[in-house]
Amino acid sequence: MPNRRQFFIVAGAGFASAALARAVGAQQQQMPNMGAANVPMDEARYHPVRLPSRGGGTGPSMSDLQRDALEHRLHCQCGCTLDVFTCRTTDFSCQISPAMHKDVMALVAGGYSASEIINAFVGVYGERVLMEPEKRGFNLAGYLMPFVALGVGAALVVALLRRWHAPAAGEAPVASLPVEGTPDELKRLDSLVHRDDP
Amino acid sequence: MILIGELSLWVALLMAAWATTAGFAGAYTRRVELIASARRALFAMAGFVVLAAVGLWTALLTSDFSFRFVASYTSANLPSVYKFTAFWAGQEGSLLFWALILSIYASIAVYTGRKSNHELMPWVVPTLSGIALFFILVLCFGANPYARLDWIPPDGRGLNPQLQNPGMAAHPPNLYLGYIATAIPFAYAVGALITRKLDSEWLASVRRWVLLSWFFNTVGIILGMWWAYVELGWGGYWAWDPVENASFLPWLINTAFLHSIMVQEKRGMLRKWNVTLVVSAFLLSIFGTFITRSGVISSVHAFAQSSVGYWFLGFLIIAIAFTAYLVTTRLNDLRSHAELESIWSREASFLFNNLFLCGIAFSVLWGTLYPILSEAVRGTKITVGPPFFNQVNVPLGLGLLALTGIGPLIAWRRASVKNLRRQFTGPVVCGLLAGMVLFGLGMRHVYSLIAYTLAGFVLGTIFQEFQKGVRARHRMYGESFPVALFRLVVRNRRRYGGYIVHVGIVVLFAAFAGLAFKKEFDVTLRGGQTYAAVDSYGDNWTFVSQGVSQYDELNRQTTAVLLDARRNGKHVGIIKTEKRQYVDSQGNPTFEPATEVGILDQPHQDVYVVLAGVTGTDTAEMRITFNPLVWWVWYGGMIMAIGGLIVMWPQAERRRPQAGYAAQMAPEHAGVES
Repeated sequence: MPNRRQFFIVAGAGFASAALARAVGAQQQQMPNMGAANVPMDEARYHPVRLPSRGGGTGPSMSDLQRDALEHRLHCQCGCTLDVFTCRTTDFSCQISPAMHKDVMALVAGGYSASEIINAFVGVYGERVLMEPEKRGFNLAGYLMPFVALGVGAALVVALLRRWHAPAAGEAPVASLPVEGTPDELKRLDSLVHRDDP
Repeated sequence: MILIGELSLWVALLMAAWATTAGFAGAYTRRVELIASARRALFAMAGFVVLAAVGLWTALLTSDFSFRFVASYTSANLPSVYKFTAFWAGQEGSLLFWALILSIYASIAVYTGRKSNHELMPWVVPTLSGIALFFILVLCFGANPYARLDWIPPDGRGLNPQLQNPGMAAHPPNLYLGYIATAIPFAYAVGALITRKLDSEWLASVRRWVLLSWFFNTVGIILGMWWAYVELGWGGYWAWDPVENASFLPWLINTAFLHSIMVQEKRGMLRKWNVTLVVSAFLLSIFGTFITRSGVISSVHAFAQSSVGYWFLGFLIIAIAFTAYLVTTRLNDLRSHAELESIWSREASFLFNNLFLCGIAFSVLWGTLYPILSEAVRGTKITVGPPFFNQVNVPLGLGLLALTGIGPLIAWRRASVKNLRRQFTGPVVCGLLAGMVLFGLGMRHVYSLIAYTLAGFVLGTIFQEFQKGVRARHRMYGESFPVALFRLVVRNRRRYGGYIVHVGIVVLFAAFAGLAFKKEFDVTLRGGQTYAAVDSYGDNWTFVSQGVSQYDELNRQTTAVLLDARRNGKHVGIIKTEKRQYVDSQGNPTFEPATEVGILDQPHQDVYVVLAGVTGTDTAEMRITFNPLVWWVWYGGMIMAIGGLIVMWPQAERRRPQAGYAAQMAPEHAGVES
């Protein structure tokens, strides 16, 4: 008969595998061939992000450097794991990042701020267009979990160290016997006891 | 030869099945003839897998396009060296490569272990055969490299240009050699768990294989970074891509094990933990293979999707369930008689080292799988890219770097306040000096400042350790300092080789911290035009376009741009960047145009130029990137590899009577509660 721990492990493994199998099935339907296979990318992944120009002749809403920083926050949709700025010059001959770059340029020229441009892209592509999840709601769990795990691990390590450091339960305390000797003898004894210390 | 190879794969399948079945039956019933038969079948299996591999190599080198694999990954005009390396360019060949290395490793492990580990080896043989059986099954029924086409094409499709690079020729084999080596410790762990022979003896055999795995994994990862940097043209070497992460996970776990094993060897502690690490490293290797091949997570490195994802998922589930069952039912046997004399001891610092290594492993795994979790819970697809991983892992990495310096300074068992003060003073002063100098020079990036301060601290620690050892030898034996240094390392390879690895780690961290000062410029230049830019060191650069040229080479049409680079008015070199259109032997384009990066590499900074495109006949669009300290990534990696080799190098057995505490802690004295 499995005990409770074994039952939970097996049940957990079963649940995880079912979820993964579902994910594998779903992704294998959706994933385009790419990368090492070098099959052309799915250009249907590109969707225009356009907003009417604000006019007023105020010029671009940000400098080139700020625009580059903004593009670093947008995930190229060609199937790579890079941002729009970086993907434009990679070896993947991406057709999508240049198109997304043009959209960013048009929005910058149209007088839109960085947050407005980001929101426009999220509106069209969804949250997946961001290089990192927004820090709110369920996503906070994503950000916090590694630190929570580390904290739990640290607490466990400290607890273990304390347990190992403390005398074992049930172990009778050993009464310390008086050590008799001259100060010189005691000093030599002490140095012998600690001789391995560097 | 090709036909022999094809048939050999099927014979290898039978051999693996027999070795597994007879092996488990023999080990369970303790029938010697079955055990011996399984061992011989494992050797035979290895022989037939070698023949199968030779057959495929023959097909590749002779351009036998009747095979789908050959036609898919080579062409008649592909240079021979890349026909050879095309073996691991595709799903089927790379799986055969897995099986090949596993078979060879298994044979070596079984052969070298024949005179020791008598109780474990009967279980090691079928476990390794079982793993090999899985791979050969996938090869025969899921991804057969010998599958034929209905017709023979006049030429093959060619090899992906990204893979026509020396880095890609060497990176996958090294990574596989690292991944697959985790199978041997796993098999030993299974044997030890089943037989309940969980003393420290089996760990001696395991440690060598973990070291081997760690070494090849390190070399493989560094080569992969180099390939990504010089080939992919995005200006970096690590993008926290799921497949990159998958290669990093076993490395982290192996590194944790190589530290925690010392605690078990010295103090008989952490038995459960060490078994868990050995098992986890193998499972994460399989997980990495699953990620690469299933298409479950988007990655630029992934193989084309196929049904093998399900095979790997099934295998992963069985392996996890099997090992979880074994570990949980043997918890009592794994209980060690642990007693810590002081929290201020090296064993305690190693526990924290393991905590950080496993913490980073968890966060990498979490970030890799989080998109799947998010989609399952919220129904929303998200991207977890480098910003997420950097936010989470940079602080953890810095903590680990600090522990790299702290660990060697704390004595085993107990460190007194006086001892701590004496040990820490020098390294802490080194670290603070490094930080203050850089701050004085104007560095304000917080994480980089912390990284360089800690780098100074760790280097101070290592220097102090070497200095103490050399001075002691000089004093005791009258050796000159160079001789004393040489003999110190040679006679204590494990300890000082480890310190050399730490030097490599410090160099790597210093190089990573340099990324904070990266600068990128998009440039459009006609022939003769000049672009001026200032790098992070404040140097003034000018780049003069020498124009666009187009010409044909062996199997490609090349468009190249030359830039004359000058720093502060002084000529420093010519940088060439290219776009290549690969063609088959008929002159037809085979792949999308590929970029060849131009790099002017210097110790303090790389100037990295990528040709994005050409407009008209003479106008080139380029990206120029100043990448500080990248040079040191490669040299840090080399230092780590050299340190790893020193640690691995076999040491002649020196029979020296152990005395005192060491004798008490010898395996036969290490208490085990049963």
